[in-house]
Amino acid sequence: MRPFRRKGQDVVARLEPAESGVLGLLLDQLEQLLTADPDDVDGDPVMARLLPAGHRSDPELAADYRGLTETALRSGKTDDLAAVRATLPDGGGEVRLDPEQAGAWLRTTNDLRLALGERIGVTEETEPPEDPVGDEGQQLAVYYWLTALQGSLVDAVAAARDARR
Amino acid sequence: MAGPLAPSRTTDPTVEEVEDLDRPWVTIVWNDPVNLMTYVTHVLRELFGYDEPTATTLMLQVHNDGKAVVSSGPRERMEHDTSRLHAYGLWATYQQDA
Repeated sequence: MRPFRRKGQDVVARLEPAESGVLGLLLDQLEQLLTADPDDVDGDPVMARLLPAGHRSDPELAADYRGLTETALRSGKTDDLAAVRATLPDGGGEVRLDPEQAGAWLRTTNDLRLALGERIGVTEETEPPEDPVGDEGQQLAVYYWLTALQGSLVDAVAAARDARR
Repeated sequence: MAGPLAPSRTTDPTVEEVEDLDRPWVTIVWNDPVNLMTYVTHVLRELFGYDEPTATTLMLQVHNDGKAVVSSGPRERMEHDTSRLHAYGLWATYQQDA
């Protein structure tokens, strides 16, 4: 991977073929979660993190909030996901994003990290695996690869915004 | 009509209710182990138009104290702010200010 860098108003990165493949698979999995029948994923901690309660202790207020916002939040996330898929180079290559597309990538890579982080049980103390072996090691390696990708994207988007001012 | 056994009240209940309605609502961002510090700062700048130092101070408060109030106002606006933060994957809730 060549991490994201600002180029004018755009941000540009380059992905290896395997990286494009992994990201594509993760997008498929996230889409399945977001478009699943809500009853089937009810109580799934990943869904609880992607669409959190609006209130900590008042169930009535939390239910009100969910009724008001859940449909729009779900469709916003699936729209973002579609925008990422449309700009992901099949088989690797350059990713060039305008500010709007970069916003979709920021939110979707964050959702992927939230989902993966919840599944692996990432805490403040979690560290990158030195030698990623086994399923958990592999997932952690993917998590930290996403972290590097998103981190470079945040910095590049912030640089593009500061250049506009 | 209140008789001698009616409970005494120290405050007029209608006044109390009005004060209750006047208490502002707040939107709170909670710390979580996944969201990058740079990302949280970026989102606070993007959504609320905070300048870099303000957004960074709020982000550090979330990181160090576990939470920070990022906006306050009427309930409907706090609902809206919470959903905008949820769209970016920040862990946010809203409540009437204590």
